[in-house]
Amino acid sequence: MTKKVIIIGGGPAGMQTAASLLEMGIKPTIIEKSDRIGGKLNDWHKLFPSFTPAHEVLESLKQKMKEARVITGTTVEQINNEGVSLNDGSIMEADAVVVASGFNLFRAELKEELGYTIYDNVYTTVDIERMLNEGEVAMKDGRTPQRIAFLHCVGSRDEKVNQRHCSKVCCVTGVKQAMELKGMFPQAEVYNFYMDIRMFGPGYEEMYRRAQEEFNIHFVRGRISEASETIDRRVQIKAEDTLIGRPLKMTVDMLILIVGMTPGESNREFSKTNGIELQPSGFVAPADNFTRNTCSNAKNIFYAGTVTAPKNIGESINEGAVAAQQVAKYLKGL
Amino acid sequence: MENISTEILRYYDHFVVPFTVGVIVLFTVVIYKYVRWFVKLPRTDKSLVWHGLFTRSTFDACVEVVSESLLHRKIFRVNPILGYMHMSLAFGWFLLIAVGWLEASMQLSGIVPLHAHVFYKFFAEPGANHGVSGEILTNVMDLLLLFVLSGVALAWFKRMRSRAMGMKRATKHTTGDRIALFALWFIFPARLLAESASSGLKGIDSFLTGNIGHWMVSTFGVQNIELFSSVMWWAYSILLAVFFVSMPFSRYMHIFTEIPLIFLRKYRLRSTEKQKSYDHFQVQACSRCGICIDPCQLQADAGIMNVQSVYFLRDRRYHKLTGAVAENCFMCGRCEAKCPVGIELNTLRLNSRAKLFDLPAEGRYSFVKGTDTSSGSGKVGFFAGCMTLLNPKTLRSMEAIFDAAGEEVWWADRNGGVCCGRPLKLAGEIGAAAKMMEYNKSLFEKHGITTLVTSCPICLRVFREEYNLQGIEVIHHTQYIQRLIAQGRLSVEYSGEVFTYHDPCELGRGSGIYDEPRAVITSIGKLSEVSQSRENAFCCGSGLANITISDKGQNKISAALAEKFAETGAKTIVTACPLCKKAIARNTSLKVADISEIVAGRLTVTTNSHLAKSRIEESPLLHVMQ
Amino acid sequence: MDFGFSISRPRAIDLDKNDLSISRNALKKMPEFQACIGCGGCTATCTAGNLTQFNFRKVHTLVRRGDYQNAYDEMNKCMLCGKCRLVCPRGINTRGVAMMIKRLLSEY
Repeated sequence: MTKKVIIIGGGPAGMQTAASLLEMGIKPTIIEKSDRIGGKLNDWHKLFPSFTPAHEVLESLKQKMKEARVITGTTVEQINNEGVSLNDGSIMEADAVVVASGFNLFRAELKEELGYTIYDNVYTTVDIERMLNEGEVAMKDGRTPQRIAFLHCVGSRDEKVNQRHCSKVCCVTGVKQAMELKGMFPQAEVYNFYMDIRMFGPGYEEMYRRAQEEFNIHFVRGRISEASETIDRRVQIKAEDTLIGRPLKMTVDMLILIVGMTPGESNREFSKTNGIELQPSGFVAPADNFTRNTCSNAKNIFYAGTVTAPKNIGESINEGAVAAQQVAKYLKGL
Repeated sequence: MENISTEILRYYDHFVVPFTVGVIVLFTVVIYKYVRWFVKLPRTDKSLVWHGLFTRSTFDACVEVVSESLLHRKIFRVNPILGYMHMSLAFGWFLLIAVGWLEASMQLSGIVPLHAHVFYKFFAEPGANHGVSGEILTNVMDLLLLFVLSGVALAWFKRMRSRAMGMKRATKHTTGDRIALFALWFIFPARLLAESASSGLKGIDSFLTGNIGHWMVSTFGVQNIELFSSVMWWAYSILLAVFFVSMPFSRYMHIFTEIPLIFLRKYRLRSTEKQKSYDHFQVQACSRCGICIDPCQLQADAGIMNVQSVYFLRDRRYHKLTGAVAENCFMCGRCEAKCPVGIELNTLRLNSRAKLFDLPAEGRYSFVKGTDTSSGSGKVGFFAGCMTLLNPKTLRSMEAIFDAAGEEVWWADRNGGVCCGRPLKLAGEIGAAAKMMEYNKSLFEKHGITTLVTSCPICLRVFREEYNLQGIEVIHHTQYIQRLIAQGRLSVEYSGEVFTYHDPCELGRGSGIYDEPRAVITSIGKLSEVSQSRENAFCCGSGLANITISDKGQNKISAALAEKFAETGAKTIVTACPLCKKAIARNTSLKVADISEIVAGRLTVTTNSHLAKSRIEESPLLHVMQ
Repeated sequence: MDFGFSISRPRAIDLDKNDLSISRNALKKMPEFQACIGCGGCTATCTAGNLTQFNFRKVHTLVRRGDYQNAYDEMNKCMLCGKCRLVCPRGINTRGVAMMIKRLLSEY
């Protein structure tokens, strides 16, 4: 009898889980809430630190898991011992479930003082990826930006929006985009406002240094506290240049908010299932942080990717492979 | 001489000594306190008293004394059982004294000393109270005793289970209070037993003490009951003495103090930001009933248990007040609204802070002199306040509303201004706050505005209450928008959208503005009220009056509040204070909007203003919003 | 011997010599005061800092280091409006910090 495995979420983690299961002869089912697989990788342009086009990674993942069954446009509402219940009211049975439901992006409009959705020329890093994919980055009225400011840690490490954790990949994303924009507009001045720069991954620090030396990107240590709009629709920002100890004001053509990761919207509902626990941050807690990163406390529920914490794409994909192995081991024992 | 002493000794027994001493101590201390407080009143307060003395105020005060000090109407409104308990003890005891006086005067002869009224049954002749009036009196006295005893029984029950009385938490009392309370609990049971024993021995018939007495004598025999009677009279007298002596030093001081307080209040004495003698009347009128504990969200949501008004007043009265207690309060006014004695809790807390923390003001804020960052000009001034500057949607929306109404506006602090002074004042630094207030006042006067609109309820209060702006009307933006709509200067599109509304403390309880925001909302959509609204509205946990609370504590309070809006079915929570907006938005998935945003989002172009029409073309915001 | 710089304050923050008692007391009263990561949001948004040279972050950091000179007068420029508290990403009760420093140093 063939064993049934359900993977919740068709992002990089879910796709790799499927690919690894297929290699081991298990044909899983991916349930994806949007109408296509790939998750947020679909929206990204190039990936740090190598500037690899996102679609290359996506295509390779798709190739590896094309034998898997994929159900799109369907949301898993609850996980239980027998399987999962879907938004159409039906129940899908499964012997094992891999939760790879990912993260949500921080809604930058919650930081009202930064003016996102209020001022014309305040963007998020997600907007910039979209614009890069569309091939044109410009101000709202089509002008070419001469001065661009990035703000790190929007919706990360911020108690005021109940986001205590560090989203870890945004620092490098912000530096990557700063370099891309500087590459597009060599005459433009690009400033990155940060509290701490956390370059945790291989090649990240090197990339940061290139941004400074080769791309002449200015890094200012200070958090932008407020933004306002000038008559000509530019954005005036206020920060403290903390290394000098004096307030700093500047007017920029584009203010780009480097948004962080928030826990997936379904985490809370999933945590009603026995064996699935939430961390105080709202991300799901793995059984432990060392040897059972992809395990829950229920024997047949597994995790992969950012459902448990902010991760980069490589880490998410790795976890997909590990989760698949755990699933296979579990199914063998049945 | 000898005659008089025999007259007095006719009604004397050694057991009356404790009672007599107690009464003397009680009245000496109480009168000493009142005289001292009154003498120390500032001249202006005294003149208010003299001017009010022979006016209707005195009559009104008498009426209130009866309805509140005796009948406790306000407590009835909190909970009928709790009200009955207080009424039976206060009014019942009062009647026992009054009717007892009458009874003793009728039945005893010669000079009847005070204690003989109180201990009448002991001094009554055997077989007294014959005749219709005597029988009626003795039965009425029994009925009153029963009435009081029912209150005592409820008090016992309340100590054990305060929830049954509509109070989740009862006050934690001091040792003095406990001694007085213990005495109070046993005074009337002791009286019941003492009077019953005497009635039994003397053959005085009545439905309660008479019957119990007969039963006692027939069951235990005359000799035993004689001994028991003398023990119980002693006990009764000692308990009364203990209660009387502890009264002026315990919470029971409120029994008397509420009366002068009612009079002084009717003569329009009020506490102020500086402490004065009138405060004593308020502080010692607190009965520590603890009704203020339940409404306090610091207690309910954040688990902070020792700062509520009852404890604040207690600590202040016994000179044990710490800054930590005085400062840990949002001054949201929820407790003040419920206080059955009507004590000005916020003002007292404020003047305690001022006493503890006011720092020398000399030279403070000299740097504000000469700055003027305002822009625009017009008869209407808009003061955003520091907090609104962090809510640019509100600023944008107000701009759109002013434009649509064709109003010329002077923007006082759009590019940053000077704080209104209220936050510093709430922290007790009154002198320094005055410097900022002077600056803003002269700024308003300099620019010749006639109306001052503010979107911040904190600023609103201080402008209204303390700025003394001559010729400038101060209104909140909810009021301003409501007027524009009512006058037809602003037309908004009605949609069926369901909104709910959060009353900010400083706007609602603080300034009494409840109807205008609701009128604005209902001109746009439907209003679904949250369970606790208007005077009962919850605080968002961000009030600036609390200097000590941690972010965690604040967030617990705002999370508990935000949760309550879910059941209204509304998609948007509307509020009218920049702080409330941020606090709620942090803890809900619903949309949270300042009232100006929902209006600006639904403006339809009016034809009554040529100016407005010409401006709309220039304002891209309106395009976006339409 | 006079090297010509004895009148001015020493350049270095000398944690060997600085009197840290007030600093320790302050941190004991409000441990969250230690949680500052120096992002400068408070100073950027400061109402008073918009009008005069007043740097809340710098003043309280100096106090943490045991350097109290002028801290009281500087902190007295604060208007207590609370904007800094609304922007502080660490959720520090900045108004409480300001008041505490003033009270600890009012006799310094």
